[in-house]
Amino acid sequence: MGVRDSGEAATGTPDPVERGFATLNTIRIGVKAMVQKDGEIRKAEILSIRQRKDGPSFYVHYVDFNKRLDEWVSSARIDLSQEVEWPQPEKAEKKKAAAANKAAPSKNIKNQRARADSRDVSGTPDALGGKNLNVGKAPRPSKAGGKENRGAETPGGDTSLFGSERVSAVGTPKAAESEDVDMPDVDGKEEDVPTPGGELITREEEIERLRTGGSMTQNPTEIHRVRNLTRLQMGKYDVEPWYFSPYPDSFSEVDLVYIDEFCLSYFDNQRAFERHRAKCTLVHPPGNEIYRDDYVSFFEVDGRRQRTWCRNLCLLSKLFLDHKTLYYDVDPFLFYCMCTRDETGCHLVGYFSKEKDSAEGYNLACIMTLPQYQRRGFGRLLISFSYELSKREGKLGSPEKPLSDLGLLGYRQYWRETLVELLSEPGREAMSENELAVLTSMTEKDVHETLVVCSMLRYHKGNWVIVLTDYVVEEHKKRLEKEKVKGARKIDPARLQWKPPVFTASSRTWNW
Amino acid sequence: MTRYGGLGRTRPKKLTPKASIPIVREDEIDALDEEIQSSLQNIETGVEKAEEEEFHLQVAIKASARGKVNAAHIPTPETILSNLRYDELYPPIFSQPATYIRFSSTVEDCCGCPYNMTEEDDVFLKIFNQKRDAADQCSEDDFEATMNFFEETAQAKQPFAAVDGSPVPSFADMESAMDAAVEDCVKRFAKDIYEHWKARRMATENHGLQPSLKFETGQDTDDSDPYVCFRRREVRQIRKTRGRDAQSTEKLRRLRKELEDARQLIALVRQREIGRREMISMERQVFAQRTEVKEMKRKLNIKDDDEDLINQKPKKKQAEMPQRPNAPQLRLPLKGGLSGAEDLQLLEEVQAEKENDILRDIKQNISKHIKWNEGYVDHTRAPLSPSPERTFDTAAFRPAFTAQLPTPPSSEASDHNMMDTSLDVTSPLFARDKFASRAMELHEEPHKLPSFRRRIGRGGRLLVDRRNVVAARCAVDLDPLKADRFKYDQEDSDDEDVYDTDGYSLQIMQHRAITMAKAREQAAVAAQAHAQAHAQAQSQRRLQTDQQPGHNPPVNSVQAALSET
Repeated sequence: MGVRDSGEAATGTPDPVERGFATLNTIRIGVKAMVQKDGEIRKAEILSIRQRKDGPSFYVHYVDFNKRLDEWVSSARIDLSQEVEWPQPEKAEKKKAAAANKAAPSKNIKNQRARADSRDVSGTPDALGGKNLNVGKAPRPSKAGGKENRGAETPGGDTSLFGSERVSAVGTPKAAESEDVDMPDVDGKEEDVPTPGGELITREEEIERLRTGGSMTQNPTEIHRVRNLTRLQMGKYDVEPWYFSPYPDSFSEVDLVYIDEFCLSYFDNQRAFERHRAKCTLVHPPGNEIYRDDYVSFFEVDGRRQRTWCRNLCLLSKLFLDHKTLYYDVDPFLFYCMCTRDETGCHLVGYFSKEKDSAEGYNLACIMTLPQYQRRGFGRLLISFSYELSKREGKLGSPEKPLSDLGLLGYRQYWRETLVELLSEPGREAMSENELAVLTSMTEKDVHETLVVCSMLRYHKGNWVIVLTDYVVEEHKKRLEKEKVKGARKIDPARLQWKPPVFTASSRTWNW
Repeated sequence: MTRYGGLGRTRPKKLTPKASIPIVREDEIDALDEEIQSSLQNIETGVEKAEEEEFHLQVAIKASARGKVNAAHIPTPETILSNLRYDELYPPIFSQPATYIRFSSTVEDCCGCPYNMTEEDDVFLKIFNQKRDAADQCSEDDFEATMNFFEETAQAKQPFAAVDGSPVPSFADMESAMDAAVEDCVKRFAKDIYEHWKARRMATENHGLQPSLKFETGQDTDDSDPYVCFRRREVRQIRKTRGRDAQSTEKLRRLRKELEDARQLIALVRQREIGRREMISMERQVFAQRTEVKEMKRKLNIKDDDEDLINQKPKKKQAEMPQRPNAPQLRLPLKGGLSGAEDLQLLEEVQAEKENDILRDIKQNISKHIKWNEGYVDHTRAPLSPSPERTFDTAAFRPAFTAQLPTPPSSEASDHNMMDTSLDVTSPLFARDKFASRAMELHEEPHKLPSFRRRIGRGGRLLVDRRNVVAARCAVDLDPLKADRFKYDQEDSDDEDVYDTDGYSLQIMQHRAITMAKAREQAAVAAQAHAQAHAQAQSQRRLQTDQQPGHNPPVNSVQAALSET
């Protein structure tokens, strides 16, 4: 692949044509180009461009891969020998804006980020009006193929006026494109995906929903941002952040951000961090320990009482949870923090948050295992603990949606294993979904769906049966054997010292 | 409809959550129809639709559907061990308590001075300390405290410095903010460090030196700024009413009073304890001196009754002396609280007092005049002549009504003795008070009543003299009878008929006399019965105490006796 010289730039001038060749100079935000990744070529969308001493670098999102794999690539990795997909052009004004945008990075050589770029764009007056400032920062998913005009879902011709505010639950675009901020969240397959709810949520509605409950957003204006931190230092590990998190904006300029392992405070300066460590006396999450076994401890931390700590925790977990929203404060949540202990203190491994009073019956809002502790079964313990709390409350519960990809896998595994364990108890001949739900504190819906997903619920000779498939039986046996060798990592309800906290009506009115 | 388990043509029965489903092993049923897979399509993953189709997730889901869970793996960015000097920064200071940890300090409580030095500060501090002698060095902690003071003061003085571009506060501003709470080291170094702080502050366009999160600033751009986080949830406004205001005022006042009481109580307890400590040390001193005396006595071989070695009564009193002034003081606030209520003078009391004063005056004057006139025969009707009742034989008059006086109407305003003409007589409360005081007066001064006397005049005529009747009639309506007539006008007891009668007709007077006599008789009987019952009860009590507890037949008899009466 070669970098084309400017003489050929004419072929790449922005035009309504969908595909075409591009040069480094004509590549702009929103273009989908082929990029080398791990020895293969993947289609990737350019989300941001910055100028470095050794030439421009591009922030790319690989189409059909999770955003946590988004990265900065040098121009050498972009394969310009293949045609690129140009973003859907809009109006004359938009083109001008794009031109202005393109000019911006070159003028400002110094390490300019997409964030700043897009802000410039949003600042330029466009036909969509002031409210469309969001567009600049929060690109809307779009498809170059003009899919926005899918009849049923597009209410009318005037949608472009409000398009930036309208977000569908399924993340399909409903609105006018803004060419410099396109995001490739939709692909060809999606056209076949049914949209069960099909409802449209405006940004205002979503913010109002979040005001009264919930911690997850489907709103692209809240997500889909360029990652702002480069690297984290936390405890004994260096961690790579996955997503954007609203740490102080100056943090995007440093290579390493220091996080205190205990108070979760953040520093962009090593000296300041070391000074802080000399003074900080916290050695465990600042709450009450409600569970302790040989392996882990759980602490309950009230978002209202420990505002700073819980904010720090949320900032940290936002780095690894795409759909988590930090729009509103932490007051209505309780944080259940799992720690391992050693002589230096109780080290946070993961946590889940839970609404003090969930209108939707969620027993868990956000759940995260820190990346340095992942793939060791901690997530399963966290999930299990959340159901143990629900059992103590005498309620059935389910996690708040949307789940992340890792969340979905974790939950499905927990659900399957829990159900299989119950079903394969000796002497069990028949069970209703309701019984299963009551025994596990899972909702009936989750029970049913897990059975279906694992093809355990079948219709056989005119009757429904639960089939313990060979596979799940084998998996269960393996688990038991492993537990015999390694010891069972389970939550022991007897060690849980916890009563469901009660919040009065007045505290709900005034404190949240 | 999707077909399940190979039974394509029939529609499956509806599955309810309560329905019991038999559990079978896979080998007990027919092989799985591939079509079961299609039913998977209906299950929502709960993952955002846009991300559901992501490559790695799809691989994982398909792998687990085929029963190869371990093949499912979603790649994530790597974490590596840091080259941080972990052991230095995280000292092994944690010792796990036996019980579960309970903890409520906040991050701010645990982190000491919120300002943390940077390398830039290090350079400054090094140069700064080089110029100073060893005794007057500025430590890192002092430096941070000072910087923190500047930061906090600037934040307090210019809360919007980051937005409105106000200039860096001057040192004079800083000095004015130094109060008693500011540490000494800050005061000592403030002047020297200020310039450094100012320079750093200028470099950041007067933003805070410590990186901070972006919160709401109330500007329109807030809503779309991704860095603005942790917004407040607007609380519902509670409607303001005067009643609620008064309620809150009352609550606050009470709270304040209670807190002040508590404070005073604590202060007094402290005083008491100080006194007690003094007493104890005094006793100790006494004891020590006595030991000395004892030894001295032994040494000098003095033999007496050792009176000086034990506490004697007067001495004991003295020992208690320091405590004594405390005791009454402890009750002082209580007294103070009560005195308010005691100071509240009742209207009747004031009235009664004034009345008494006037009466006393009059009596004095009368006796004075009598004294003056001693030995003189008064032929004139002097202005200061004794009041009419002295000229008549008061004993000969009998009040027309004695005990049960009719209640005067509450609206009656003609009572000249009342001092409360300015008061709101329509208020039922005052009306009652008025009546009460009036009834009292009537008892004290029967001469104010219409009274009658019968005498035989010349020629054997029977005459009835009336007193006060005319005067009363002149007034608006003092006539008790008429008053009686309108007694219930204000009340709602309409069922009581009012008969228009001539109060001076003989018949009625007769009738009244009879009923009066009857009433008196009844009262006498009742008093007697009461006395009897009382006596009986007493005897009964005596009986009960004499008898074993639990035997109570006499009680019945007493009850019977009581019911008889």
